[in-house]
Amino acid sequence: MAIDTRHVGRRYGPFRTTVCGERIRDFSVAVSGGTPGFFGTATGEGAHPWTVDEEAARRSPHGGLVAPPTFGVTFAMQPFALACADPEIGLDLVRLLHAEQEFEYGAAVRPGDVLTTTGEVVEVRSKGSLDFLVVRSETYNQAGEQVLVGRWTAVVRG
Amino acid sequence: MKRLQDFRPGDTFELVRTADRYLPIYYAAVSGDFNPIHIDRDVARAAGFPDAILQGMCTMAWVADACSAYFGDPVRVRRLRVRFSRPVIVGDRVTLRGRCSAVEGPVVKVELEALNQRGEEVLKGASAEAVF
Repeated sequence: MAIDTRHVGRRYGPFRTTVCGERIRDFSVAVSGGTPGFFGTATGEGAHPWTVDEEAARRSPHGGLVAPPTFGVTFAMQPFALACADPEIGLDLVRLLHAEQEFEYGAAVRPGDVLTTTGEVVEVRSKGSLDFLVVRSETYNQAGEQVLVGRWTAVVRG
Repeated sequence: MKRLQDFRPGDTFELVRTADRYLPIYYAAVSGDFNPIHIDRDVARAAGFPDAILQGMCTMAWVADACSAYFGDPVRVRRLRVRFSRPVIVGDRVTLRGRCSAVEGPVVKVELEALNQRGEEVLKGASAEAVF
């Protein structure tokens, strides 16, 4: 069943997150095939050292750990997740998949940053038996700099 | 540190990653995405998949890692884009291949493909841009 276009403009947030260095590190460790948490000592191949190794990061041009590009899932996905589960919109979560994702980056994300995210349903469309819902998120840091714009697209398989 | 002049259209790079049984669970813990389709085989089967499926955002993180290595600095990435064309199932091995498509002023553009062990595309239209 097509998603009602009256949901376009529906807003979520603001949501506030304080960025934690350990969480950045665990994120890169897990994604690269290592084990996060207490037992996580080794990263898998291909984790960027400036996202996991304090010492290497200190010697980098950034002077400390920085978040990898898709770390935004931890602070900017909430509007999308809430829209997908919003009883007013009524998507079938069992038939729902993440269809597309786009990010535009501003200022770097570092441990200690306080980030504020808001999101809005910006598009609803159908293609055959597939229904799409698009949420746009915007995230700003404590200095008022934009750090991330996300365009999150869900598909519900008919 | 890489500089703008280090990038040439036609450059290629590759990263291979495997979705082992624990990865969707670990990724749930570090991302916050605990959708049961990713961590419970029975729920995934009820949804029509042979086993738990990896969070699409984790596949996108692989794209970001491949690009961060090529660009030399994760903070240089200005834009990332993917379409999730086929689920990555627990047990799948994904080969990501990137190719520099253009260097325009200070912007380095990259296009990527991501194939599972059967040679099927799990992403379409994957691209990245970095500014130097």
